[in-house]
Amino acid sequence: MQEQIREWLEQGKIDIFLGYKMIQGHPLPYCFTKENPDDLNDLIVGKARYSLEKIATKIAAEHKELKIGLLTRDCNQRALNVLYIWNQLNPENIKTIGVNCCPSNLKEHGDCSYLEPELTPPVKKMIGIDNNMDVKIAEEFNQEERFNRWMYEFQKCIKCYGCRDICPVCFCKECSLEHTDLIATGGIPPEVPIFHLVRAVHMGGRCIDCGLCEDACPVDIPLRLLYRKVNQIMSDVFDYTTGTRADQSPFNMLGEEVTLKPKPI
Amino acid sequence: MDFKIIPSTCSYCGTGCGVLFQVMDGRLVDTMPMKTHPVNEGKLCIKGWNLHEHVVSDKRLKSPLIKKNGELQEVTWDEAIQVTADKFKSIINNHGPDSVGVLASAKITNEENYLAQKFARAVIGTNNVDHCARL
Repeated sequence: MQEQIREWLEQGKIDIFLGYKMIQGHPLPYCFTKENPDDLNDLIVGKARYSLEKIATKIAAEHKELKIGLLTRDCNQRALNVLYIWNQLNPENIKTIGVNCCPSNLKEHGDCSYLEPELTPPVKKMIGIDNNMDVKIAEEFNQEERFNRWMYEFQKCIKCYGCRDICPVCFCKECSLEHTDLIATGGIPPEVPIFHLVRAVHMGGRCIDCGLCEDACPVDIPLRLLYRKVNQIMSDVFDYTTGTRADQSPFNMLGEEVTLKPKPI
Repeated sequence: MDFKIIPSTCSYCGTGCGVLFQVMDGRLVDTMPMKTHPVNEGKLCIKGWNLHEHVVSDKRLKSPLIKKNGELQEVTWDEAIQVTADKFKSIINNHGPDSVGVLASAKITNEENYLAQKFARAVIGTNNVDHCARL
């Protein structure tokens, strides 16, 4: 793999390569360059999982012609697809090297270095929502109990905006979560549950089920489960599978005509 | 094009969360949590997520200011230190050293904080020392 990247860098197929390197005992994202090819000996592949494509998007926004290489898991690849179709990255400028990944509903066979799901504490199981729950099982609670359980999860929110900040497919210049007409800003706690539901709605046709938001949530809100449900609706109603399709989701609101079409029954 | 990820520690409070600074072309552009850090395990609060902002903020003071004739004016460090020392002296002479308190900052290093408390105890002569990370 190192040889392949070195070759790409030397031949000018890519200008930089985003991978991982051990720094101060931590596997951290690292930008490999042509100028320091020996760094590539330190390239590591492991459980480290950062949103390299988000970093690439940030770099590409300032250096439009730069050719970027990336180490990608399946979730990174799905995020890249979404970023391509929403014109945030130019596929011609991106080259990827795939590595093993963790399983997800959007990918049935995960040949993976699976990050063991964390054990859910008993109180959360009793009155909240188990993060490792399946969408179907989470829907089996009766309406009142389901509402109470989700509200228990949402009211823990400390409004760090971490779910948005870490999200590889959150790239909007103006974010609804900071729009004063939609959500009261400047106070804690946030407006519950509108804060989470606004974000959930925006994840329809965007969320690629990477789970980084849940990893970044300081209070363990089962965000991945919530967005899986939203995407299930996308798939059931509009026949749109996020991350694998080559066209923009039907929730594209740009343009003059309404293009929202339910899937044929 | 130059892009670096720099591991560091959040300076906002005493918890000490691990953060990663993203530096593009010599400019600090973003902060994200360090996932393998034993303290925060990949999570941050809203202050930590926006850590880069106090470094690059327009509101950041870059030179000392002294209020002259009711207006804040830029002055040299020599003048600022002289004025501060004179004022401290007159306050201590008139009201005693315990009329002064020192509040140290989380945005300076451990060693600088040590110097701040040493300054309070040995130079001013008071035990009125506290730190913003003790929130």
